[in-house]
Amino acid sequence: MSAMPPGPREMLALLARETQVRAGPLMTALDGVAVLPGEQRLADGRYLLVGRSGFSCFYRKGEGVLLGGYSPEHAGELALYLVGSVHAAVACLNGLLPIHASAVAAGGQAIAFTAPSGGGKSTLVTGLGDLGMPLFCDDTLVLHLGAPDAVHALPGHKRVKLWPEAMALTGREPLELVSPDYPKYYATPTAGDVAEPLPLGALVFLREGPEPGWRRLSGGEAIAAFADDHYTRKLFDAANPHSRAERFALHARIARQVPMFEFTRPLQPARFRECCAFLAGRIAAITGP
Amino acid sequence: MTLPIRKLADAFTETAIDEEVVVMSLASGDFFTLEHTARAIWLLIDGTRDRAAVLAALEADYGPEVDADEVDAFLASLTVAGFVAA
Repeated sequence: MSAMPPGPREMLALLARETQVRAGPLMTALDGVAVLPGEQRLADGRYLLVGRSGFSCFYRKGEGVLLGGYSPEHAGELALYLVGSVHAAVACLNGLLPIHASAVAAGGQAIAFTAPSGGGKSTLVTGLGDLGMPLFCDDTLVLHLGAPDAVHALPGHKRVKLWPEAMALTGREPLELVSPDYPKYYATPTAGDVAEPLPLGALVFLREGPEPGWRRLSGGEAIAAFADDHYTRKLFDAANPHSRAERFALHARIARQVPMFEFTRPLQPARFRECCAFLAGRIAAITGP
Repeated sequence: MTLPIRKLADAFTETAIDEEVVVMSLASGDFFTLEHTARAIWLLIDGTRDRAAVLAALEADYGPEVDADEVDAFLASLTVAGFVAA
């Protein structure tokens, strides 16, 4: 008799435990390979990140994150890594799949938006929050693939990070700077956040276009679009070695189980609210009863 | 009588999504999305049918307006991709 694989809630709890931080030695190399400031390395089930300011975050399964060489003046930089790169690496090493996406909750499902950096993911989920959709995560979405018949998403963040222009666009006051090296500001979502895993109801690829538009991707388009997310690919591949065929099978499975869409919208600030309302209508159509 | 067309299973991996078959070259990682007649031809290639039998089966499903030249061009593209051989 084989044990049931851990479900999304168990994995969420595990991720919370495994990302706990405690003091450790300063490390600048993994397996004899130097890791320079601002770089990371994952090998043989271990992960090392060296921050730009020189502190290190080391992780090995079951041991949490060891923080070395840290001083509190770099709290902003550390916080950024802990919700970004370190979070993604710990997820990868525990069999989860992080992707570059922000998400809201709607109709008991997570609706995720992906685009290259600066593509408007955080701004959009903030705008959808103003329309009543709680924040599910910002910038990194962790997927649980343990159930064969569905893809679940694990909630990740309580706040979004916005550039000053996006703060103005969404009507927020720039109160807390993320980091001097990364001058975004934290913003609290209007509709609150989500603490429980949810089925991933849709993955939406953001594009710029002259008018708001919405289109379901075909199977081949969905696989190709999903395969184009390189944000955490190296980490995932290093943590979970697999062949090209196995990767294709994984992407195909996700494309079969998660409807994927393309949302095209103009980026003029004056049309932001109109685009959010358009998008909210499409989300209601796919998540409604 | 020509030789049966067979798939070269070591050269690709495939998956069905909705009404499509997506085939990926294991050598290059390139995708090929097969829909409609292309999907039908792909599914008819089973190692027993030759070109004439594939065409006949297609005509049985789609009618006599099936364009034999297009079928030949598609079979040639599959051969060039390394997915099939006769």
